[in-house]
Amino acid sequence: MIPDDYGVGIGWRPEIAGFVAELPGLRFVEVVAESVPATGPPPPALAALRDRGVAVVPHGVRLSLGGAEPVEPARVSHFARVAELLDAPLASEHIAFVRAGGVEAGHLLPLPRTREAVDAVVANVTRVQAELTVPLALEPIAALFDWPDDELDEAQFLGEILDRTGALLLLDIANVYANAHNRGTDPLDLLDRLPLDRIGYVHVAGGAAHDGIYHDTHTDPVPDAVLELVAELSARHRPPALLLERDGHYPPAAALRAELDAIAAASGHPRVT
Amino acid sequence: MTGGTPAPAPDPTPLVTGHTGTLADRQAALVATLVAGAPVPPGFDVRLVGAARSALLGKRAGDVARSWPLLAAGLGERWPAVFARWAATRPTQGSLRDGWDLARELAGEGPLPTPAAEELAVREVRWRYDGTAAPRRRGLPAVHRLGGVTVLQIAGRIRLWSRRDR
Repeated sequence: MIPDDYGVGIGWRPEIAGFVAELPGLRFVEVVAESVPATGPPPPALAALRDRGVAVVPHGVRLSLGGAEPVEPARVSHFARVAELLDAPLASEHIAFVRAGGVEAGHLLPLPRTREAVDAVVANVTRVQAELTVPLALEPIAALFDWPDDELDEAQFLGEILDRTGALLLLDIANVYANAHNRGTDPLDLLDRLPLDRIGYVHVAGGAAHDGIYHDTHTDPVPDAVLELVAELSARHRPPALLLERDGHYPPAAALRAELDAIAAASGHPRVT
Repeated sequence: MTGGTPAPAPDPTPLVTGHTGTLADRQAALVATLVAGAPVPPGFDVRLVGAARSALLGKRAGDVARSWPLLAAGLGERWPAVFARWAATRPTQGSLRDGWDLARELAGEGPLPTPAAEELAVREVRWRYDGTAAPRRRGLPAVHRLGGVTVLQIAGRIRLWSRRDR
């Protein structure tokens, strides 16, 4: 069920396609699922990566699995077709909602940690899994705020969703850091309570604090504190794969390579640069 | 309230007052807060939801600036604030339409800087956009004038004249 040991990967984006294409040890990338046409053929840059044996994982951002409404069938079909088109070993989406009442939020929004929300997520994940031919990994998000009436803590909420869906966990270690920072909790407590053996892969990303609030921006360097959490996580249960996400303000290639190397060092995987 | 008809009795289950509505209602209320300027629902941390609203507007401003680089560049340092003021009560229709709607509104208030006017005029002449549905490519020749900019489109080819004396 758990995919291969893919080691250190990077989120493929058109702006850094040239950089990604030249990483000699690369074995996996992720692509935003909604950016890939389901009608095929795969975009040439991704096809070239596939041809050299690099796994390409579609990462959905707009399914709205946590929406109270059923996930839109056309979005599910697109997601499943893209996974087939890319011959992906797995696909991933978020435990979040992105629209409600017909209005787009434009971002991943947190759910109340209630049994009603667990039911909504499970129902939507089940709909996706019915069409998807590969395992699905679910990613908890970074939330700047919580709902006022949580019934479950984060580990219980995630555990229940994973148990009821059989999905893998896509753990974003920067989100773990962000949430702990913003809630004033200890990130290691969460790591100690999550089912780390269910991790399909891990996201690592940069961020920055403003006015005491840590923002998971994907446009800033990966903080040392996040790399330390990668090491803590890997000491407990080394994830089979870790992926650097960068979504803008792209630094020079040397800086990106250094971040990939730092993730390799912290996790004990070989360098891909 | 006028007329003799009594007002309808209030709904016994308030939809958006924190702990009572359905998940769907409460999600809709939260989205309205974040993207349409509705008040923060009861029980939420007003400061943190406000920070999320600002972060969303900043991200949207960046997305729209990528779709409308000359419009954003034309406003320079004012872009984030101008965009945020315009967008605070308008849920996104996608970056292309958001920038288009804002550009038309700004052009209606006064002349746009020439590159921004050219960017808007070229799109107006290439596409038919009614402000409510997705833009569609024009099949027929068209001409569009905006400030000192004139753009002619024939069979998809663009010819542009600008009076750069402003």
